[in-house]
Amino acid sequence: MTPEAAAERSQVRAVRNSIAWEKILKVVAIVLLVVGSIIFLVPFLSALNMSLKSEAELKTTSAWALAQHPTLDNYKEVLNNPNVSFVQCFWNTFVIAFLTSLGVIISSSLVAYAFARLRFRGRDRLFLIMLSTMMLPTIITMIPTYLLFAQLRWINTFYPLIVPAWFGGGAFNIFLLRQFFMSVPRELDEAALLDGASHFTIWRRIIMPLSKTALATVGVFAFIFNWRDFLAPLIYLNDPHKQTLELGLQTFNAAQQQKYHLLMAGSVLVMLPLVLIFFLGQRYFVKGIVMSGIK
Amino acid sequence: MRHIKGALGPSATFWVRLLVPILCLLTCLCQAEPITLRMTVWDGDDSLRVLKQVAKQFEATHPGIHVELEAVFYNDYFTKLLAQYAAHVAPDVAMMDPPDFEKFAQRGAFLPLEPLFNTVPGFDISQYYAPIVKAHTWNGKLYVLPRDIAPEGLFYYNKKAFDEAGIPYPDGSWTWDFKERPELKEKDFLWVLDKLTKKDANGRPTRYAVTTWDPMGLLSMFFFGQDARFTDNGENPTKVFFNSDQSIKAHQLLADIYNKYHFAPSPSEMSSVVSSTADQLFSSQKSAMYICGIWDAVKIRRALKPGTPEFFDWDIAMGPSYAHGVRAYSTGGSGYAILSSTPHPKEAFELASYMAGKPGMLAMAQAGIAQPAIRKYALSDAWIPGPNTPIEQRYPPSRIITDKEVPYVVFMPSSSDFPELMSMLQAKQDSIWTGLLTPKEGLDEAQDMATARLNDMLKKESLPNLNWTGAIIAMVGIICAVLAWVYLPERRKKLTKNLKSESRVAYWFLSPWIIGTLLFTLGPMLLSFIMSFTDWDIIMPAKARGLGNYTEAFTSDPRFWKSMEVTGIYTLFSVPVGIVVALALALLLNTKVRGISIFRTCFYLPALGSTVGLSLIFQKIFQQEGGLVNNLIYGANGKGNLIGLGTLMGKFSGQPKDMANWLGNEHLALATFVLISLLSVGGAMIILLAGLQGIPQFYYEAATLDGANAWQKFRAVTFPMLTPSLFFVLVTGVIGSFQVFTQVFVITLGTGAPNDSTRVFMLHMYDNAFKNLRMGYASALGWILFLVILIFTLLQFRLNRKVYYEAEVR
Repeated sequence: MTPEAAAERSQVRAVRNSIAWEKILKVVAIVLLVVGSIIFLVPFLSALNMSLKSEAELKTTSAWALAQHPTLDNYKEVLNNPNVSFVQCFWNTFVIAFLTSLGVIISSSLVAYAFARLRFRGRDRLFLIMLSTMMLPTIITMIPTYLLFAQLRWINTFYPLIVPAWFGGGAFNIFLLRQFFMSVPRELDEAALLDGASHFTIWRRIIMPLSKTALATVGVFAFIFNWRDFLAPLIYLNDPHKQTLELGLQTFNAAQQQKYHLLMAGSVLVMLPLVLIFFLGQRYFVKGIVMSGIK
Repeated sequence: MRHIKGALGPSATFWVRLLVPILCLLTCLCQAEPITLRMTVWDGDDSLRVLKQVAKQFEATHPGIHVELEAVFYNDYFTKLLAQYAAHVAPDVAMMDPPDFEKFAQRGAFLPLEPLFNTVPGFDISQYYAPIVKAHTWNGKLYVLPRDIAPEGLFYYNKKAFDEAGIPYPDGSWTWDFKERPELKEKDFLWVLDKLTKKDANGRPTRYAVTTWDPMGLLSMFFFGQDARFTDNGENPTKVFFNSDQSIKAHQLLADIYNKYHFAPSPSEMSSVVSSTADQLFSSQKSAMYICGIWDAVKIRRALKPGTPEFFDWDIAMGPSYAHGVRAYSTGGSGYAILSSTPHPKEAFELASYMAGKPGMLAMAQAGIAQPAIRKYALSDAWIPGPNTPIEQRYPPSRIITDKEVPYVVFMPSSSDFPELMSMLQAKQDSIWTGLLTPKEGLDEAQDMATARLNDMLKKESLPNLNWTGAIIAMVGIICAVLAWVYLPERRKKLTKNLKSESRVAYWFLSPWIIGTLLFTLGPMLLSFIMSFTDWDIIMPAKARGLGNYTEAFTSDPRFWKSMEVTGIYTLFSVPVGIVVALALALLLNTKVRGISIFRTCFYLPALGSTVGLSLIFQKIFQQEGGLVNNLIYGANGKGNLIGLGTLMGKFSGQPKDMANWLGNEHLALATFVLISLLSVGGAMIILLAGLQGIPQFYYEAATLDGANAWQKFRAVTFPMLTPSLFFVLVTGVIGSFQVFTQVFVITLGTGAPNDSTRVFMLHMYDNAFKNLRMGYASALGWILFLVILIFTLLQFRLNRKVYYEAEVR
């Protein structure tokens, strides 16, 4: 046996070994996936189960007992509530979350491009300053911010919730995109620069299409965050017709007047669109960055 | 003149001619435009429906006044009201209650109501129950017009349980004493409790005699019944009496009822979900009696509809009196205050006296929600069920008890400083009810802590007003210093022509963030920084305090170091464990398995739920009795010991005999919050998954050809390629967990229970900002936290050098 043949054979064996290993790992992975998702499903399934019980059943049976007489009455009652129009809330929340996440995607990707790709004086220190805006608790900036928006006469409008997202999109998102942009190889934009493309063109034609994963992540996060946000809509919106879903839910959780059967049904309703968006949106997480054009 | 006219042209005259009548019309409309009164309440679904109807009636009978009703959840009600007041956009009428109104009243945010009495014909304050009027009075002036009163000493009782035990129904003539007095039979409270408690062969209660909505319900009966008081002066306390002999005796009695006799589940056994499960124990017949105010009758009525299988006969009775002393019941109540900023005080009082007068009270009474604050209506058939009352509204039949208890109601000290002192007592009560401290030990600790704090409060410094010119100069100075720090070190760097144009482009790209920061972020940040050197209560102008807030935090705040420690421990565990779990899940979810998208959605689900709904479920999962986790560990009979976990938890909790009390035991609660945080690692998981997806497949192919095994591939390819995402998850994870707040706030109802063991730093800051109205001090706390986070972030940036970036620009 020639040394070349021996080497080749050992390589083949190694490949085979690793394939066998991968099979075992895959089985282990499936088992872990199933067990794990059961654990992670518990909160949602218990909410669903509770939402199908009548109030009397919810109060007189264990939280873990399956609904004996499953009913959709709680859902009907939530949707027909005279205090809160959930259809209106749904629309308000959608408008806020959609416009905000659009603003976040556009503006934070611009800023992140500068931090990841361009050289300028004081870049790293400016980046740290940008991050530091996340470190100050919002509790203490809340009143000053409220005073500011009151000066602008923006109280009881959607502006305080939407407009800031179009100016920078938040340190969290800029940081996240910067990390992803820094992982995109430079060969393509260098070639484009030589061809005389501007940085704006590179951002639009190269970086954005190559970072679909990251952009989808940021967009979905921003949408979910604003969908579930509670404190900001609470303090800025007064008019019952301008309420968001999370605010509407509070009607069933008022001090000493809790209606947990309706709260649970409402929570499930509020959550369903997010589940749908995530389920569909994650196709982009799967696709990943298209790297085939490089090297 | 003609020249000018010519310049304006004929079209201008046309416009002027058109505009004048329109303007006239608009002014007329403005005069006829109705006054809008904004009214804010914390009512929930049922009472909100009633209030809306009453508001409509008011509009119909008062043409020219339009009412806007805004409901805000109680937990955030005061936060919003303070923000609105500070920004001059406060509503005209606001719902208030005895523990909260004084801090607004003493700062001039509410109007005294007496001068407005005669603006409403026929208004007579003497019709209102005197105790609730007095409870809303400060410094001799009434600030809140009461709408309801709600004594907490009502005993809801299950008639079936009494029949089975052969005891006559309670008629209010029973008494309590420090020991059981069997010779009195059903006239002795402890004897009744003894007879009503059912236990299994192991001595574990299968049915409790009584459940408390709030331990204060029973405690105040025992405490005030001995004629004891918490402070020397309710309005201006100078001493607290938390560890008086009467207090120790009262606490001992209640602790025995919970832990020695097991007549009642202790609050911690219900894992801080007291308010949600207490009425449930009664409705599901796991408790023969239930102590609460009348407000819970609505819930119990709905759970026990006559004719359904769940139904049993029930009623309410008056609580016992002390054998050698007095009857005393703590009480609730609420009413409407008028903000001093309203431009229409007369109309606002008209509205308040309508809502907290005959129309509002009768409507609330008819719906069975609240006992009218005017005695006449509390005795009318709107409130007291009669033959015409529909069957489902008839329970509880003896509603007259609510009136009979009024002469015995006791209010907590009204001083706005008292809630903070009381929260120190409540923290120690947590340990007393779990049995980890004896009443004497716990109350001594509470006494020391509260006395120190009270002495601090009494040292009223006279401080100068804040000098705004100086403050603005300081702000400008800070901005200049920061800009210099950014720019100067690289000033000398020679820039090629190419680089010059690149940096010019860079500023264009940065411009959204720069403009946004200047407009929305910088101002509030700087203002909070300046406020950290002041004494500011949000309502009144700020007073300069120099470094006072900072020295107070480090030297005399009894809870500062505790909350730092809690937050530090939480971060130390939740961040590393969270990252490991998120990474493991991301790797799992990166495998090519059919249906992987469903698995991904499952793992992300807990991060999608609404905080309120999720918190409720987490409380149920970690409940001591009947919680899912304990069902797994201890089995249905409570005797099991899954893989030794039961023994282990017993060691940790210091209560080896009991099942683990995840949220109620001060040694376990913080760990439970770390566990809860693990269920919400979805965000980090997705970021890491996106990072994994970005690793080019050919690296793995090459590694396989080189004979690398799975672990080697992870070390050589996956890990280095993932470092940018890991670095991000680490940095933002640390920043986030130092600021952990919402989940703890919702689950512990803002208390940091048990015994401050979950009093995270943000909670301490929130309490100071919005409960104690010490925004200046809270700002100092916020900037201390900022510094701590900044230091940790800078340390992590040293790791940044080891992060592998495919395309780094140095």
